Amino acid sequence: MKIVTKSFLRYLPRRLSLSLLQLMGVACGVAAVVGMTMSAITALASFTKAVEFLSGKATHSMQRPAGPTEESALAGLARDPAVVRFSPVIDRRLRLANGDLVRFLGVDPFLDRAIRPEIADAEVRPAKDNAAGALSFLLDDDAVLIDKELARQLQLSSGSLLQTTRGALRVIGTFSNPSGEPLVLMDIAHAQKLFTLNGFVDRVDLILADESGFRGRWEEGFLIQSGRQRSAAFSAMLGAFRLNLEALSLLALFVGVFLIYNTAMFAVLNRRRDTGILRSLGARRYEIIAAFVTEILILGFIGGALGGIIGYFLTRFLTALIGTSITDLYFFLRPEPSAWSNWILFAGVALGCGASMLGGALPLLEIVRTDPAKALSGRVAGRQSGRNAHRTSLAGLLILAVSTVLLILPRTHIYVGFAGVFGFLIGVSLLTGSVLVAIHPGLRWVLGRVGRLPGKVAAGNIRQNLGRTAVAVAAFMVALSMSVGLGSMIGSFRQSLVWWMESQLQGELYIGKIGEADVPESFYEEVKKMPGLGGADPYRNVQVLYRDVPVYVASVDASVVQRFTHFGWLKGGNENWEQVKRGGVVISESFSRRFGIKSGDTMTLHGAHGPAEFRVGGIFYDYTTEHGLLMMDRSTFLRVFGDHTINSLAAFIDPDNPHRLELIQEIKKKAEARGLPVQTQSQLRASILKVFDNTFAVTRSMRALAIVVAFFGIAGALLTLFMERRHDFGIYRALGFSTGQIATMTLLEGLGMGAVSYLLSMGAGTILAVLLINVINLRSFNWTIFFYPELGPYAWTAITALVASLGAAAYPIWKVCRTYPQMQIREE
Amino acid sequence: MAEPVIRVIDLWKDYADDLTNAPALRGSSLEISAGEVVALFGKSGSGKSTLFNLIAGLDHPTKGRIEVEGQDLELLGEKGRTNLRRFRLGFVFQFFNLLPTLTAFENVFLSLELAAKPDAAVARDALKEVGLAGKEHRYPNELSGGEQQRVAIARAIVKRPSIILADEPTGNLDTATGNQILDLLTHRCRESGTTLVMATHASFTCRYADRILRMVDGIVVEETSGEVLAR
Ligand SMILES: Nc1ncnc2c1ncn2[C@@H]1O[C@H](COP(=O)(O)OP(=O)(O)OP(=O)(O)O)[C@@H](O)[C@H]1O
Ligand SMILES: [Mg+2]
Repeated sequence: MKIVTKSFLRYLPRRLSLSLLQLMGVACGVAAVVGMTMSAITALASFTKAVEFLSGKATHSMQRPAGPTEESALAGLARDPAVVRFSPVIDRRLRLANGDLVRFLGVDPFLDRAIRPEIADAEVRPAKDNAAGALSFLLDDDAVLIDKELARQLQLSSGSLLQTTRGALRVIGTFSNPSGEPLVLMDIAHAQKLFTLNGFVDRVDLILADESGFRGRWEEGFLIQSGRQRSAAFSAMLGAFRLNLEALSLLALFVGVFLIYNTAMFAVLNRRRDTGILRSLGARRYEIIAAFVTEILILGFIGGALGGIIGYFLTRFLTALIGTSITDLYFFLRPEPSAWSNWILFAGVALGCGASMLGGALPLLEIVRTDPAKALSGRVAGRQSGRNAHRTSLAGLLILAVSTVLLILPRTHIYVGFAGVFGFLIGVSLLTGSVLVAIHPGLRWVLGRVGRLPGKVAAGNIRQNLGRTAVAVAAFMVALSMSVGLGSMIGSFRQSLVWWMESQLQGELYIGKIGEADVPESFYEEVKKMPGLGGADPYRNVQVLYRDVPVYVASVDASVVQRFTHFGWLKGGNENWEQVKRGGVVISESFSRRFGIKSGDTMTLHGAHGPAEFRVGGIFYDYTTEHGLLMMDRSTFLRVFGDHTINSLAAFIDPDNPHRLELIQEIKKKAEARGLPVQTQSQLRASILKVFDNTFAVTRSMRALAIVVAFFGIAGALLTLFMERRHDFGIYRALGFSTGQIATMTLLEGLGMGAVSYLLSMGAGTILAVLLINVINLRSFNWTIFFYPELGPYAWTAITALVASLGAAAYPIWKVCRTYPQMQIREE
Repeated sequence: MAEPVIRVIDLWKDYADDLTNAPALRGSSLEISAGEVVALFGKSGSGKSTLFNLIAGLDHPTKGRIEVEGQDLELLGEKGRTNLRRFRLGFVFQFFNLLPTLTAFENVFLSLELAAKPDAAVARDALKEVGLAGKEHRYPNELSGGEQQRVAIARAIVKRPSIILADEPTGNLDTATGNQILDLLTHRCRESGTTLVMATHASFTCRYADRILRMVDGIVVEETSGEVLAR
């Protein structure tokens, strides 16, 4: 090895603690990116796979636009010349006794064989006392097949009972399920009984020979989708969520690269003097660059590989979180974390090396261009660095200006919004140098007050080493801003949601559960007639297609809702319901923004009897779906879609009704008699908030990651400064500073930088929150979140900043105390 | 008279961009011929190190012209200046500037490696000559100031350059060792016809020189009176 290179590499073991910190910096950065991106990809891929598996070999599917489809249509399908194969399906969710929700399919085993052969190949091993064998699937009305993975998880085998909220089901066999989604299978006739769906199926899966002919005969009143349309509709459903994951991956990339960048930059800055010596001995620029690149690549390589491994383990955790969110919000999914592959290592190494090179490049170029004499004179002197800082700030302002333009440009792609947000963060981070120069006198005063002479020296050190401290403060500030910004955004969103719940969820009791337990119409009639009850709202929420994309239609009793709730309207008040009573609709903000439909407009939906026109009576704030929700009166809904399903029933009681409590008890009793789940208003609200919190678990993980990054950023910076100035410390001691004073000085440097970073992040984080709310959320979800300033994120971030600064200063202080009294004065 | 190996014409160097301080060099000129041993004598702060840095191409002058071996440094470009330092020039820094992560031996060997004549024996001999036999494997922070200075001198002479610029080569040495080193340095240079320029504020250094230049407040004047030697 060339001695030039050797002279660089020897630093790695020599400054082991710093090297390890740098390594961890790179590793954390890479882990964040690998973990986030991989779990997003895995979750989305498993989603696609589950969709594919469920549609099997079907080319098309057919169903009523809303709600279940009459069995009577099947006879016609059997005779239709275009139909090669058809299989009616009941597709529901079933809650197991342990609380898990699994997908439940009811199929006709003979008809379905052609569509989903995997299921037909199930290994049926009937219990000994049952001679019926495979036939028991048809004969026993509690017989189910479950997929092997689920059987393994629940330790079930043929003959055991699967406990569910709809009673115990007998497992008679298992089948292999490549999609990884837990699946329970039952004969369709028994399934109809189990879900009280006599005479109805959810859809019919078809293999068609002549699509256009078929459509011509059946399109009226039915929704016919090709496999491609179906999966397109499914993906569209996940669109905003996918975007959100992408944003988080990008965020991870940004944070990760920023950390690695800083790490590499410090590594280069540390070699300033050595570079000067080598150049003065006649080493060529490329020889020095080669030595640097070797060092950086070693850090990038090991750190990247380590990060890949950590990221892989992070994936296992994040994938489950994402799976839970998708399940809560869209589609039942339990993604398997992807298996280990050497590609992960490769990607980690590539990322680690790439980002390190990126981080090292600029300072490296700067250093090899500096005249050796200047490089030899050591750290950049104060005045000079001040000038550099102002030049950097100018660039920062320029980037901020560009970002502002990107952010206020109307109707651009969401990626432009992302670019604007990241630009904002970069721009702000470039301003730190000037800020440090500007606030130096103040900082000196404060630190001087706190720590007397060592405090003043600490303030001076922060100013003198601007090249390093500004970078460290910038990195720390960005991480803290992320924490403040994400925290405020989530907090505001949660507050908005609470406000929304207060405006819409005014019922005393909610009976039934969407997607799990529907409410029989007879029960609705029974409750409605109860004397003293203020009103009952039969709520139905179903996905339909509008302009070929999925949206949701809800049917309500408009007069009840008008009387008992006070929706948050964009314009007007509860008089907006008048239009609904007359057969119109009200739409959610997301619907309005997504399709550009305003109050007073007319829109068309495809109903069971062909197209139907609606007049829009008002627009309300809503956070239940970003796809758009429209509400109509139940009478209108029945007329247009003929769907009598009731997903849940809300019971309203006048607050001053003297028999309120008795009424509540009575309804509860009635519901329980029918085995219907009942939730009180506060229970429902709590469960909604729980889903909300689950949804943001991933975001919160990213926030935690940002904090880890912050820690490594500031710790690396402090340690570097410390290493460089061990020599100075010796001098301070020689001048009569006590060990305690030097420790105070180090501590105050850390705290001073932490405090400046925190102060900056309060501003930058608030702006970030506003951008996330008004640009990113508005554009990707089409809904308005109201900004609620909260103390929480700021306080939490302050604690983080304090702990991180203390933690970062701890090691140098320990070193100071340990090396007492023989501090290095000699030139290292 | 032969073409001078070093020629400096009206050299100015102003460190500060603002005009608060007087320039470090204010129109220095000098000519040094091949094989000469010259002492540059001057008070602290008179601009000796500044001048050396400029001659070695480590820094850029504010104004003026430097020719080394007949070539204008500015016209040589970065690559040419690097090659000059690499093959033709030995530099002994006032503050040694050893690489902290390399041993004494490696610091010396580095110089050979850069000059494309890596030979471990030569490096060891050079260290022996400066009296550091047995300390080859110490790191700079394990050497005394004077020992570090001797490593720096070994590093400069080992590649047998045609010019050596030595900034305070004996600043950290006791008189006996200092004389020994100066003896070695001047002897080596005279023997091989190497041009040697030494910056110093110690008069005994001047005794080893063929010629003495005097630096006063950024201007070089020829020493004729023998005043230095008389002291
Ligand atoms: N990097 C610098 N920036 C600003 N001024 C400098 C710089 N280096 C040197 N000077 C100033 O230039 C003048 C000459 O400095 P120089 O180092 O050349 O003196 P010197 O003759 O080598 O002194 P000494 O004998 O003490 O080494 C001094 O006044 C010094 O303050
Ligand atoms: Mg000097």
